[in-house]
Amino acid sequence: MTIIDTTVFAGSDPIEAIAQDVFTAMVDGEEGHLLPWLGERPEPVVPVHAWVDVRGPVSGRILLTTERATAQALTRALLAIPADEPVEAADMVDALGEVANVVGGNIKSLVPEGGVLTLPQVESVRPEVAPGQLLHDVAFGWRGQLLVISLLSTETGSGR
Amino acid sequence: MRVLVADDSRVMRQIVIRTLRQAGYDWWEITEASDGAAALELLPSVQPDLVLSDWNMPEVSGIEFLQRLRAGGNQVRFGFVTSESTDAMRATAEQAGALFLIGKPFTADTFAEVLNGALV
Repeated sequence: MTIIDTTVFAGSDPIEAIAQDVFTAMVDGEEGHLLPWLGERPEPVVPVHAWVDVRGPVSGRILLTTERATAQALTRALLAIPADEPVEAADMVDALGEVANVVGGNIKSLVPEGGVLTLPQVESVRPEVAPGQLLHDVAFGWRGQLLVISLLSTETGSGR
Repeated sequence: MRVLVADDSRVMRQIVIRTLRQAGYDWWEITEASDGAAALELLPSVQPDLVLSDWNMPEVSGIEFLQRLRAGGNQVRFGFVTSESTDAMRATAEQAGALFLIGKPFTADTFAEVLNGALV
């Protein structure tokens, strides 16, 4: 099943390119802080998951997973919260959801068939991923902390 | 210059406001709305010169917000700031009466370029 037209990225990974653009423009203000993860991926200790779904002729989910501490650091970066001030849980949910929303919206823009993008959801429990549902995932190190972006199929028969 | 920023994400509203300041519009008087319905409620009191709205919002989406404005005869300058920016959405936005659509992620340069062109 062809979901994304990768030709516009000249053969490179579109999720990697989109995520790096998003972090450069929206989170860090400069390039070089979101890099491909090298080596084995550690299991998250206190994970948090954010996702948006695409519903239409082609249905899928863009899922972002990271440690809660990394999500809090992302929130600090997005809202310019000083290091000595606490991060409110609602702000963390909003921030991580918005990152998933922007990454997901850009990925959806590559789907020729179109569809509707849902509002972001953020949970501490990973949404169930059945065998065959995971189409692609990319692991990044954001300032050295693991962050994984997955593309899942939610088509009937893909396990959901 | 009174500006109404409508987005259901507080984080994104803050990013939009910060980016406007970085783009040189630090003198603009900005009011925030948490979605299209809240924006419609605020409109009579704020009387904005420009509306910057997300597209994908609960209750009343950005495009519904714009359509209701125009149906009521309000011709305020209106632009979308949204995570999707397909040709189809741009066409829908233009047809509904939007001046521009800025895709997320954006930079201060993007804002300056688009707004300088749209607000002439």
